[in-house]
Amino acid sequence: MDPKGSSIDWIRIMSPTGLLNLTVRRKGNKTIIANCYYEGALKVTRPVYLEEESPTIYLIHVGGGYVDGDHYSTHFLVEEGAEISVTTQSYTKVYKTPNHPVVQETSITLKADSLLEYMPDPLIAYEGARFVQHTEVHMEDGACFFYSDITTPGWSEGGAPFQYTSVRSKLKVYVGESLILFDHLFLEPKSGISGLMQMEQYTHMGTFIIIHKQADKNFGDRLYDHIQDHVDGGRIGISTLPVYGVIIRMFATDTRQLEKVIAFAHQYARKNLLRKSDLIFRK
Amino acid sequence: MDIHMINPIYSLLQLCDSNFPSGAFSHSFGIETYIQEGAIHDKTSFQHALVLYIRKQLVFSDGLACALSYEAIDNGENGSLVEIDHLLYCSSLAQETRVGTRRMGERMAKLCLELYPSSILGDYVKWMKEKKVYGHPAIVFAIVAYGLSVGKKTAVGSYLFSTVSSLVQNGVRGIPLGQTDGQKMVLEIQPVIEEAVNRMAHLSIDDLGAVSPGLEIAQMRHERLHVRLFMS
Repeated sequence: MDPKGSSIDWIRIMSPTGLLNLTVRRKGNKTIIANCYYEGALKVTRPVYLEEESPTIYLIHVGGGYVDGDHYSTHFLVEEGAEISVTTQSYTKVYKTPNHPVVQETSITLKADSLLEYMPDPLIAYEGARFVQHTEVHMEDGACFFYSDITTPGWSEGGAPFQYTSVRSKLKVYVGESLILFDHLFLEPKSGISGLMQMEQYTHMGTFIIIHKQADKNFGDRLYDHIQDHVDGGRIGISTLPVYGVIIRMFATDTRQLEKVIAFAHQYARKNLLRKSDLIFRK
Repeated sequence: MDIHMINPIYSLLQLCDSNFPSGAFSHSFGIETYIQEGAIHDKTSFQHALVLYIRKQLVFSDGLACALSYEAIDNGENGSLVEIDHLLYCSSLAQETRVGTRRMGERMAKLCLELYPSSILGDYVKWMKEKKVYGHPAIVFAIVAYGLSVGKKTAVGSYLFSTVSSLVQNGVRGIPLGQTDGQKMVLEIQPVIEEAVNRMAHLSIDDLGAVSPGLEIAQMRHERLHVRLFMS
């Protein structure tokens, strides 16, 4: 069955607004960019070595933001033993989409014992925006994946939050052939979003996912204990994923509250699972 | 028992009875978090929560899974049950709820195989043993209901009804509420179940698993409550 859904089939006949293909490879102790191809509105910086052995790249959107009918396609291949962190240079902004939603498709392949820290800046969905995001991750044994996702409502003329039309985000993670995580979010303010079981009284939502063999219940419990000091408002839940992995899902009233918790969880996972020191992106 | 002697109405009553030993008695699926926090505290607040639970959660998860499973069997595409089973299990992000639902699925599948054996249910139980599927009550219910030749709408509506009526029983114990109030809720929720069944007719597998984030957080927080009446 087509995992991408029939609703976006129309866009396949068009060339994407932005395309990025990136392959990273381990050479000796160091990870290098083996291949990098981009066209249209997507670009990347040259790799920055915030750590001696593994690069960080910053994704750049050449225009000011995503507009009606945009389609972005990104592929990351992290070869065996390679390690990379990926972030964005600024927030992803989605403007009004009167005709067709913005579609962003990301496919990620993580070979054995590789590492991808995927930490983009928050998404801002402005008034009238429809945004569809499909991310599919295929991992081999021993690979590690960190994933951060923050969704925020943009400013609107009336000043009220939640003026965007809808945000649909699907994240599928496979280890080998088996699906181990399917995170499907569909936020549609007009059908009621502030109520119980939805976003309750909050406006911002954040998710942080840690997929690593040692990220088990015990790790999740310790993370939960340590994270409490960093929760400065908002509502947080932490649980253990099928097979292995830990998820944090959190509501807040501003981006800072979410970033603080996710930054802590990120550094905690680096320290306890990877024996790595803090990674601070320079922006 | 000879299949021709079976009255499908009696069988549906049996499957939907809150005494049917599926294990639903022990699970609140996050509702207990709201009870402890005070957001659910009386008939009105509980009823409001149940309406949202049906409209925002069941429609996209268990209910839709039941409808899709029924359709798959009807179209002879039994292999699709594997995909539905995996999507359901992996979209349940709170461990306690995921594991609890899986146990209910296993229990119900084994029991129903004794009561209403069919080759499809036999396959599903076999796949569970082979770890090819996880097991989910919505899929088991669809298989059994299909075997009883009740229509899809009746099957899905009955499944929603049994889920809601178990939750009401648990709410009556957990909040607590009077038995009469509980039974009034089971009756008053009928139009919401109908609306949900009709809504699902317009949904597809692309919509499956679009769960309520607040409920997910409540389910995760349940794992860390100190005193609990329910396992999830």
